[in-house]
Formats: sequence, structure tokens, C-alpha cells
Amino acid sequence: MLRLSYASRENMTPLIMDPKLTYNNKFGTFRHSDMIGKEYGTKMPSHNGRGFMYLLHPTPELWTHVVPHRTQILYIADISFITTYLDLKPGSIILESGTGSGSFSHSLARTIAPNGHLYTFEYHEERAKAAKQDFERHGLSDLITVECRDVYKEGFGITDLVHAVFLDLPAPWDAIASAKAAFKQKRIGKICCFSPCIEQVQRACASLNEHGFVEIKMFECLIRNQEVHTIPIYTVKDAVSKIKVQQDKKRKRNEEEASNSKAAKSPRIKQDPPNLYVSKTPTEAKGHTSYLTFATFLPVLDDEVEIIDKVNELD
Amino acid sequence: MSLEQSDSPVDSQNFDKIDSHNESFEQDEHTDTLRIMDNQYVFIVLPSGNIKVVKLQKDTTVSLGKFGTFHTNDIIGKPFGHSYEIYDRDKIKVIRNVAFYEVDLDDSGANNQETIDDPSKQKLSYQDIEQLKKDGMEGQDIIKKVIESHSSFDKKTEYSKAKYIKRKESKFSRVFTPVRPTLYSVWEYFFAKNPSKIRDMRIDTLSQMLTLSNARAYAKLLVVDDTQGLLITGVMERLGGYGIVLGIHDGEYHNYDIVRYMNFSKKVNDSLMVLSWQQIFKEECQAPFNYQDESKLSQKDLKFYLRKKANYEKVQEARKILWKGGFDGLLVASQYQPESILDTLVPYLAGSRPIIIYHINREVLVNTCVHMRISGKFLNPQITESWLRQYQHGHIENDMVFVCIFKISKAVMYANFG
Repeated sequence: MLRLSYASRENMTPLIMDPKLTYNNKFGTFRHSDMIGKEYGTKMPSHNGRGFMYLLHPTPELWTHVVPHRTQILYIADISFITTYLDLKPGSIILESGTGSGSFSHSLARTIAPNGHLYTFEYHEERAKAAKQDFERHGLSDLITVECRDVYKEGFGITDLVHAVFLDLPAPWDAIASAKAAFKQKRIGKICCFSPCIEQVQRACASLNEHGFVEIKMFECLIRNQEVHTIPIYTVKDAVSKIKVQQDKKRKRNEEEASNSKAAKSPRIKQDPPNLYVSKTPTEAKGHTSYLTFATFLPVLDDEVEIIDKVNELD
Repeated sequence: MSLEQSDSPVDSQNFDKIDSHNESFEQDEHTDTLRIMDNQYVFIVLPSGNIKVVKLQKDTTVSLGKFGTFHTNDIIGKPFGHSYEIYDRDKIKVIRNVAFYEVDLDDSGANNQETIDDPSKQKLSYQDIEQLKKDGMEGQDIIKKVIESHSSFDKKTEYSKAKYIKRKESKFSRVFTPVRPTLYSVWEYFFAKNPSKIRDMRIDTLSQMLTLSNARAYAKLLVVDDTQGLLITGVMERLGGYGIVLGIHDGEYHNYDIVRYMNFSKKVNDSLMVLSWQQIFKEECQAPFNYQDESKLSQKDLKFYLRKKANYEKVQEARKILWKGGFDGLLVASQYQPESILDTLVPYLAGSRPIIIYHINREVLVNTCVHMRISGKFLNPQITESWLRQYQHGHIENDMVFVCIFKISKAVMYANFG
């Protein structure tokens, strides 16, 4: 059973519960046997009672925070926007390539459960194995099929099956023909190509257009954090008092030097400025991840219908 | 006591808004085809780019103003994705939808150095065009004629040619595209129409709320939605009919207007429960329902009585579910002060569950964040802002250039309840 331990935002770890094990971190020693049976959200003291941590309910979003980075992963901004744009929900059938570290795969599985399915392809054998293990450990094997495959050479081997395709590949244009065949052919579908470089986007767009995809659009989504602080707000009056205090101090020092004795203490001016709650953007922020290129797959038309090719008419 | 329908007109209106469904429009999202169906909402995208929303009824016609009319029976049953051109006033033919004109690398040597902005270059006058229309010339042919009559069309770069064609198309062609309502297309429509009604919520922010709240099948979620139901719609879709969405709404009756445009199945609609801010408090005693002997009521009275009884029992059930607690998350997009909402609803959340509060004004959330920190009951309160840029395909000589169209930002807050 998976739980997440939370000591601070930067210090979170996934733990699989096992009564024989103990978890150690800089805040102390924590026995699994003490954790089992506790409610999510419990503040758990360490074995000697001096440190503590929180036991968190696992979610794909927390998993994205803690997943071992075997490749560059997808973060919330992209995950959430793609999920909406590809129209994903319980029952959706998706094709993903490559699997990478499985960050997005976990999120997808959560969204399409209980009756959807994710077919995910990974070129690198070790990574494919590691991802498969994660999915099994997290009880997602029914929802996810992992295949180790060179999709550029061999394609996906899937036809007439999926509602949506997500390509996170260096050369998505080489996979688009095979992706096109994977869609349920009689139904509108959506595709997303995830590419860090503009040149990749250009080629992907050209390929999508060539293969008859429409509504080709490109987006970029970023999330900026806001730091919240409480700051005291001083007025000009306070500034004047401050100078007077400094001058007082100087005068006292001079008097003491002159008379060789301690002068009387001047009354301390109490400063009690009001507090203001403020926010600011941190100086360092997460930058560009990738461009998201979306397009729509059009269903194959019934034969009886007459089609007019708009583009050719204009030549 | 008079039992006129007019006794509670808003009541029955709301009942229809969410609960009505017609067997004929029950469509499984995940079938092999997605077809345009009778008695369902559909967006019609016009050549001008404007979008018209229509509840399609068979055996009727839909007017698209100057672009013409069409018979609903001609598109009902067709799959989504294709466009149609109107000819002969109300007949239609299918047109292949093209993304953008794939403009070849420009070998023609054309650039805009020699183009002079001179209206006399277009030889066809407005009257000439009107005459062509009267003579029965169709949209695509008119556009061809307009291009032919432009004396320096050839001198334009390929890119500006495509732009010119697109402009003329939006004026003369009679092509429309039926678009299926999805969370994205529904958001797009309402955001363009009246963004303040949805509290200026952008789709990237809405998406983040849905993902961060872990909205999924079998979840039990509390939602405070003052965006006409946009947020609730997203949550309902992610639950897919499994689990419960409990919406706490402003006013005596909910205003989740947007939900119906999604053409949700009965299963999905049934996952929604609603309570007003007044109804959630135990001390606010509801007038107990006056149960009557149903066998003694007339046909007409019985129908009305049963509806009122169903409404009353729904409210009681929703209250029971709320007070039982253990909800999986709280989502808020409301005019009301978040701290007061938290104080009221957080007791009903299970441990370590996400709380996502949206507000267009950062300052409101800054106060909430401080409140959360002081209370000690919340882990990791964080304020985030989302930026979304859409890029447009463009052309500068031989290089493709992407030009940023717009930048938007939103404020969202995320916290974990410890």
C-alpha cells in the first residue's frame, strides 16, 4: 500500500507499507508498523518523539513530485492542459509514446479509470521495465499496457482503437502515420505532440497537415508560483523616529566619552507598525518545458457522400 | 392550497435544466462513432468565425443569417468533424475541413516591397458582387472571381494570399462546421460571449483545478461554483457518472446553466447533488414536507406533488451525505470570502485531501493563504498563477515564425489539508 511521507515541500518520499521496514530521514526514524492503520493526514512523530512528518494520501500529482526522474517528466501545467484538450475522461482509450518516467502515465490512468485503457510505448528497455514495475506496484496493470518498441521503425501495431494520441518523441513526424491508423477511424479524435524546440513543432505541423489532420494549434502553458509573506509597513514618521534614535545613540556615546560615566537612558520609542500580507513572484521560476501542438483527426467519411476539396478548387 | 405550476416556476425550471434527458440523445462518449444527434446541443461555427449554439431538433431548419439556412435532418446522424457548404438556399454538401493552407516555401520572389495599398486594384465593386450572388454564383466561385479581379494578387506573398483568401471566405462562403460540445469548446464559447459570468476563468486554470483536485471516478467532491456551472461541468465530466459531486450554490436555486450544453448522459447528471448555503446548516430547519395520500390526488395535482416530493427528498439526501463527511476534495470558484468557505466546509473533508481555490484577484488569496498558515490545519498552502500562450503559424520569407497571439494569467491556489 502506497503512502507518501511529507516532511516539507522539498522532502517528500513515497513509501510502500511493510510492517518489517523502517524509514529514516533527517527528521528521525519512523517505523512502518506505526504508520499502518493511521488515517491519511496524520502528523506522525518519529520513534524518539523529537521529529515528525505527515502521512499523505497518494495522488498522481504527488507522484509527479516524487517520481524518480529517469527522463525529463511532464509537470502539472502540461498534464492538466493536455488532459482537457484531448477530452480525456473515464472510459477514454489513449496511446502514449514514449512512456519515459511514467509521470504522465499515472495521471492518465487516474483520469480514464475504471473502464478506459492506456497503451504506452517506450523505446528504452530498462525504462519500459521500470515503468511496468511502477504500474504493477501501484495497482494500475489493468489500465495500462506497456510495450517496449521502436515506434519509428515498427509503428504502434494498433489500428482503429484509440480516442486520443500523445506523442512525446524527438521526431514525432515519423510516428504520425502510424498514430493516424491507431485512431478509431469513424470518429473524431485528438492528437498532441509535445516538443521542446520550435523546429520540431514546425516539422510536426507540416506532417500533421500532410496526413489530413485539421485544427492544428500550438500552445505553451506555464505556472508561476507566488510567495506569500507578512511584512511590517513603516511610515515616514517611523523613518524620522529612526533617525532620532540613531542621533540619540551617537549623543549618548559622546557624553559618555566626555564625562567618563554612563548617561541616563533615553526612553525607547516603541515601534509597532501594522502588518501587510503580500505576494511576490520568486526570482527563479520554472521555465519553458515544451510546446504543445494539437490537431484533430477527422473520421473517414461514408462513401455515399460527395466531397468537395476546398483547396483544389482554388488552384 | 393552489397547486398551480406557477407556484414554483424556478424550481421546475431547474429540475429540467439538469435532470431532463431524452432517451433519444443518450450517447455513449466512447462508441466507435460520434454522431450529431437529435435533441442535443451543438455549436455551429460560421465562416465569420462566430459561433452559434443550437439545440438540434429534427424536422426543423436552422437559420445562419446571411449565410443561409439548413435542414437539421440533413446533418443529424452524420459524424462530427466535417464542414458543410450551403447551396440553393437550404441544401448542403459535405466539404473537407482543411487546417491551414500548407504554404510552400516561397520561390516566386514575391515580397511586399512592391505591393501598394490601393483599393483600385480590386476591379469588382460591391454592386458587381451582389449581382454575382443574385445570378446564383456560389461562395467558392465568387471568391475565385474576386481573386481573378485583383490586379496585383500575384504580387502578394503566398502567406498574404492565404490571408486574403481567408478574409474573403469569411464574407462570401457559406460553409459551416458543427462542433461537438466538449469542456474545451463549451468554455471557449462562454469565455468569448461573457467572461465575467464565468469569473474570467481560463481553460488552463480550470484544467489545473480538475487535475490537482484528483477529480476522478468514484471520488466524492465538494464544489462551490459561482461560474454558472463551468467548474461543476468539468468535475462531473471527470467523475464520468461514478461518485458524487455536491455543489453548494448561491441563492435559493442553483444557476448551473452551462451543464446542459454538454449533453451529459443520465448517469453523469445523476452524480450531481446541490444544496444552497442555507440548506447546509443543521440549524436552518427546512419546512417539513407535507406528505399526502397520493391515491386521493387528481392526475394534474399528483404530477406536481410528486415533483415537489422528489425535490424535497433530494435535498434531505444531499444534506445527509454532506454531514456524513469524508469528502475527497474541495474546489472553490466563488464570490464569497474563501476563509469563510473553508471554515464552513473543511470539517467535511477527509484527511490529506486537496483544497483548490480559484480567484481572479491575487489579494483575496493572499489573505486566505495567511489564514491557512495560521490555522495550522493546512499543509503547503501555495498560490500559483497560470500563463497560457497560443501561437499562430506565420511566414517571414523562407522561415516559419511563430507569433505569440495572447498571454493570459490566472490565480489559483493549492493546498493540502493535513
